[in-house]
Amino acid sequence: MDPLYAPLQEKLTGAVFTADQFGRDLLTNFGHIHHWMPRFVVEPRTAEDVVEVVRFAREHGLPVSTRGAGHSQSQLAISQGGILLAMQSLSQILHVDREAETVDVQGGVVWRDLVHFLKRFSLVPRVLTNNLGVTIGGTLSIAGIGVASFKYGSQGDNVVEMDVVTGAGDLVTCSPEENTDLFWSTIAGLGQVSIIVRARLQLRPMKAMTRTYYLLYDDIRRFLDDAKGAMDAGVWDHLESWASPSVQGTKPVEGRRQVFARWFYPFHLTVEFEPGSPPDDRALLAPLKPYEHLYTDDLPTVDFVERLVPIFELWKRAGTWEHVHPWMETVLPWETAATYIEQVLVDLSPAVQVGGHVLLWPAKGNTSRSKLFMRPEGEDLVGFGILPAIPPQYWAQMKPMLAGASDLSILMGGKRYLSGWIEFDLPTWKAHFGDRWDWMKACKRRFDPDHLLNPGFVPDEVESPAAAERR
Amino acid sequence: MAIPFGTESWAQALCAHLNGSSEYRNAAAKWGKGFNGTLLLSFGADAKLPEPRHLLLRVAEGRCDGATFVDGVDHPEAGFGLEAPFSLWKDILEGRQLAVTAMLAGHMKVRGDRFKLLQHVAAQRALLHCVTSLDTAFPE
Repeated sequence: MDPLYAPLQEKLTGAVFTADQFGRDLLTNFGHIHHWMPRFVVEPRTAEDVVEVVRFAREHGLPVSTRGAGHSQSQLAISQGGILLAMQSLSQILHVDREAETVDVQGGVVWRDLVHFLKRFSLVPRVLTNNLGVTIGGTLSIAGIGVASFKYGSQGDNVVEMDVVTGAGDLVTCSPEENTDLFWSTIAGLGQVSIIVRARLQLRPMKAMTRTYYLLYDDIRRFLDDAKGAMDAGVWDHLESWASPSVQGTKPVEGRRQVFARWFYPFHLTVEFEPGSPPDDRALLAPLKPYEHLYTDDLPTVDFVERLVPIFELWKRAGTWEHVHPWMETVLPWETAATYIEQVLVDLSPAVQVGGHVLLWPAKGNTSRSKLFMRPEGEDLVGFGILPAIPPQYWAQMKPMLAGASDLSILMGGKRYLSGWIEFDLPTWKAHFGDRWDWMKACKRRFDPDHLLNPGFVPDEVESPAAAERR
Repeated sequence: MAIPFGTESWAQALCAHLNGSSEYRNAAAKWGKGFNGTLLLSFGADAKLPEPRHLLLRVAEGRCDGATFVDGVDHPEAGFGLEAPFSLWKDILEGRQLAVTAMLAGHMKVRGDRFKLLQHVAAQRALLHCVTSLDTAFPE
């Protein structure tokens, strides 16, 4: 038995597991790219457990990593020889304030559970990710973007207050008004300074029904014109889009014949409404110029937010959920987005649709106050993501294409969204955060003085003595 | 038979190779349309290449209208220039490095309108593939 097992377990109300006790699924994350072996997995039962774990880790020089639903794809949500905090054990929905339209939740609550809990109040979080099977602490640590982000920013922009456990082992309440450095270095902070144990989230009233218009575009520029108009119109509640291939045959790409496609752009625009007061279709669609209006769908809003579940289920049944997921997501300046997307799609194999997809999302830069959710300058932005599921044996072959798409996006003024596959060197990390880098690192030194939290992803410029000793 | 890199016969063979490539013809159909697309590829001297070589490629709209080695990294005909040490070019041509990564890291210098070049990155990728696939005797 590990000599630290008993002393660690003694301090906690939650459970401690050693390598012979925890499941192999905890060795990797959704990316299936990195496989690390933690020394302990801890399922905390209380915020105090998290405090005790961090203090114990400081005392014994152990790194601490946090794992929600493990949807990360880089070196997050896994641990190399340290303590992996399996945060889904902190899954209580604590309090709803109907007047203030807020809810208090523990960090390990899954968004789906919260949505279904809140429907009795006709309230919903302002921003929901496409995949609701992820935790609140997890997405707040990245930013959390979804089909309503063009109105409300990231999920991190809709946090009223949080309790966090710092890397120093202190339980601290922070908000945009109180302990602001801690708050803003935790939101989209990649778990570098603290662990979210409670969050108070801003909600909004939810109408019972949604109507979604399925439009199709054959031209990226016309699509972007309409996307911009839709964001500015003030009538849409959710905007979602993709790039969708129509296979045309094969052509040589770098000398190898591969299937190529003509890409189209589905654009789904959604309004919420109450039964008996349906939206005015003609007025809503009048300004838009799609290639074709394919379909109009009415759904209860609680089903709308789960609209991608059948697709995820299909991917799981097909086995691609277990493939490598090096998702390459980037936020582009409006001015370069169309050109970038055309250049990337021209040689992108439509096989990317097998267990994955290519996402587009129009966005507004000024909806976010987050200091560490980096995005390009400018009000109008375009998110673009290649989200493949790659059989492990083809990962090495695919990697240069995704790396090229990532580097090209940066050259064209884009900022990578950091939930996906990231392989930055130190200069690229610094360039990503720009003038925020020094502030981020100062927060790291201040709130996580031993550099214990979530090591292995964001590089340290200068290792702390404790980190050097661990290495 | 492999043609020695850096010779006029190699430049002409590359031009012919570009004109014979349907991949390049399609990928570069809009390159040089309405602007000067002539490229100057500069292979900087290093341990494997004692003297730098500068290849002027008169390319436009999917065709190559001539290729020759010239003196220096500036040439009045060139609309764009790409300059890197020869060993980096080799890494790019042999698939160990991406040209966009080299640009991002600042290891490959770009002369001319960089954004215009990036707007046609698929054309440049196809061009580089043509260089790669030409039977060449590189200095070792």
